[in-house]
Amino acid sequence: MKTLVTFIITLILFFLTITGNANSSLKANFTTGNPEIKSINSMTFGPKGILFIGDSKSAQIVAIDVSSHPKVDNSKVKIDLLDQLIADMLGTTTDQIQITDMAVNPENNNIYLSVHHGSGTAILFKVDNNKLKPVSLDNISHSKTSLLDPIAMDAKDKRGRELRKWAVADMQYTSGKIMLSGLSNKEFGSTFRSIDFPFTKEQNYSSLEIYHAAHGKYETHAPIKAFVPTKIKGSSHIIAGYTCTPLVIFPTDQIKPGVHNKGRTVAELGSGNSPVDMIEVENEGKRYLLIANSNRPLMKMEFSDLEAYEGSLTTPVIKKGAAVGVDYVNLPFVNVQQLDNYGPSGFLIVQRESNGNLALKQGRTWWIEK
Amino acid sequence: MHNKFKSIVSVIFISFYFVLGMFSQTSPRFSFGKTRLTITDEFNLSNNLKVYRGQISEEELDRTHPILGTIQIDELELHFTPLVPFGWNQEYTFIYNNTIEYFTLEIPEAYNYLAVEAIYPSAKSLPSNLLKWYVQFSHPVNEVHVYDYIRFINNQGDTLSRTTLSLENALISEDGKLLTVWIEPGRQKRDLIPNKQLGPVFENDAMYQLIVLKNIKDRQGVSMQKDFTHLFKITYADRIQPSMGSFKILPPENNDDLVIFLGESMDYGSTLNSMKIINAEKQEIYGEWQLTNNESTLIFTPKHPWKKGQYQVLIDSRLEDLAGNNLNRLFDSGVSILDKKQLCDEYKLEFSIK
Repeated sequence: MKTLVTFIITLILFFLTITGNANSSLKANFTTGNPEIKSINSMTFGPKGILFIGDSKSAQIVAIDVSSHPKVDNSKVKIDLLDQLIADMLGTTTDQIQITDMAVNPENNNIYLSVHHGSGTAILFKVDNNKLKPVSLDNISHSKTSLLDPIAMDAKDKRGRELRKWAVADMQYTSGKIMLSGLSNKEFGSTFRSIDFPFTKEQNYSSLEIYHAAHGKYETHAPIKAFVPTKIKGSSHIIAGYTCTPLVIFPTDQIKPGVHNKGRTVAELGSGNSPVDMIEVENEGKRYLLIANSNRPLMKMEFSDLEAYEGSLTTPVIKKGAAVGVDYVNLPFVNVQQLDNYGPSGFLIVQRESNGNLALKQGRTWWIEK
Repeated sequence: MHNKFKSIVSVIFISFYFVLGMFSQTSPRFSFGKTRLTITDEFNLSNNLKVYRGQISEEELDRTHPILGTIQIDELELHFTPLVPFGWNQEYTFIYNNTIEYFTLEIPEAYNYLAVEAIYPSAKSLPSNLLKWYVQFSHPVNEVHVYDYIRFINNQGDTLSRTTLSLENALISEDGKLLTVWIEPGRQKRDLIPNKQLGPVFENDAMYQLIVLKNIKDRQGVSMQKDFTHLFKITYADRIQPSMGSFKILPPENNDDLVIFLGESMDYGSTLNSMKIINAEKQEIYGEWQLTNNESTLIFTPKHPWKKGQYQVLIDSRLEDLAGNNLNRLFDSGVSILDKKQLCDEYKLEFSIK
């Protein structure tokens, strides 16, 4: 009996040590100070309360530690007139603000919103009891890495002149890597990057060229607007959404620097539209892909259908506005501007409702059922 | 009796003053600027200050959210610094010690209003598969939904729809003054669905206007004073790659500038960022690059006088013409061609100074 108790205690201690080490190793190179964030274009959560911020203006990715923020009960979250509220709190008008992203901490469901003000100020808010509380970024535990490759940084130091800039479109964390998509102001191309985390001085930096065959004759290397890293038939893939609106899948292990990566188009979701956000939601053992769009309702696609679709669309859609490929359902949420997971099987949206109200609210899990 | 009356009057008078002293709402002395509201009130220094946007009545205060900011007490003054600067021509309300006050920052008479200083491409005749515009502003432009203020109008006065790539995050240069506007690539690139269904954005042999609407704002939240209009004509699509063979170099003599004739109008942004000069020792020659003659001629002014010797102009293969064709490929290149072709990242032009 004594031996068993000793064994269990040792096991618990071992587990705690492993967890502690994993936690500390991820934040080992974090320092407390001002990361000098100039813009918040995209946000995503990693493990252990680490919030990644894509800052195009400073050409950097900043990982900030928000694990010390107390858990807030957001189970009844609903904020109406969200833009009006933000404008009031900043002493400005609604045409002077832009909600640039929303992220939910998967460990405690704390909700964060990033806002850009016309003066060039970036503000991070935390939702707290249906109110917005600003999160100070002046003195925060963080780690960061540059988005400029070493050659460009060198060139900037020497010439001190403007280099290529690019805007982060989407950013996701998966298995020790930050993946980013974006668009340059100089060339129209697919800028897709993979950066190892924790960040190191010797940054493993990959700029990947991702193409999708556009109907046989010409190919496009357009930028990815929104994407999710996921598993398709058990192996790692990226599901990427492009403007106007092909949905393309790439096997992650085949995306390598210097390799011409070509994806498989599994759906065309209708023209005149652009994906805004994409998430994967699981409910009752089934996985679903939710896609928020600029000009279409929120779409729900079943992973089982995605996995079953083995073809690649190679012929143009002739019927105007029609969708082809993997089937999906339109959910009754139009003008969804921000979308993120909420809890294991829920979702959270910022939606411009038909009456003009901009609302932050939960989508009912009821919609994520077969 | 008279004394008694005097005493009663005195008590009433003192009491009145006492009550008045407790509940009086004398206006605080205050001043304000773009980044600070200062209250000078030596007897009531405290933190009970709240600032609101708009002219808010006492009844509305509970339903309105105060402005975020920090309060500092500095000797006999109380300062409120808003999280973002106060806006010009915006009314504000503040409540301090149960007193409501209002203030507005009027735009200064000598305000330097936002204006469009240049537009690229500057040529009046442009290919129908044109891919990008650059708008050069006089000072930093407000990025919020900035693309909503760009319009293209045809000769009949109709506003064209779905012309530009709408980006959530604006592409603006580091100094905040150069805005990149992408013409919807899906319509310009052959065979994509938008191109098939809607055709290219511009038609051959037609006149158009690019308009930057006057309600676009600067970073102070102040609009331009009038619309900016740029007239241009569309000609046939450019489906020829820029070629090193068409670049002609005019070597400098003594302290002259280096001139490179590019053979056609090139893309403003990618051209200025694609050039570098090195000497025989591979050291970079620093100086200023300028695009002139409708962006078809490059001029390099060295920071230091030229020295005798051999030089190379290194040109990034990503240098693009107006239709997005670069030194390695056409914008809408064929799949098979691109897969097989071995491409180089950099091209060279050589010259010598004697």
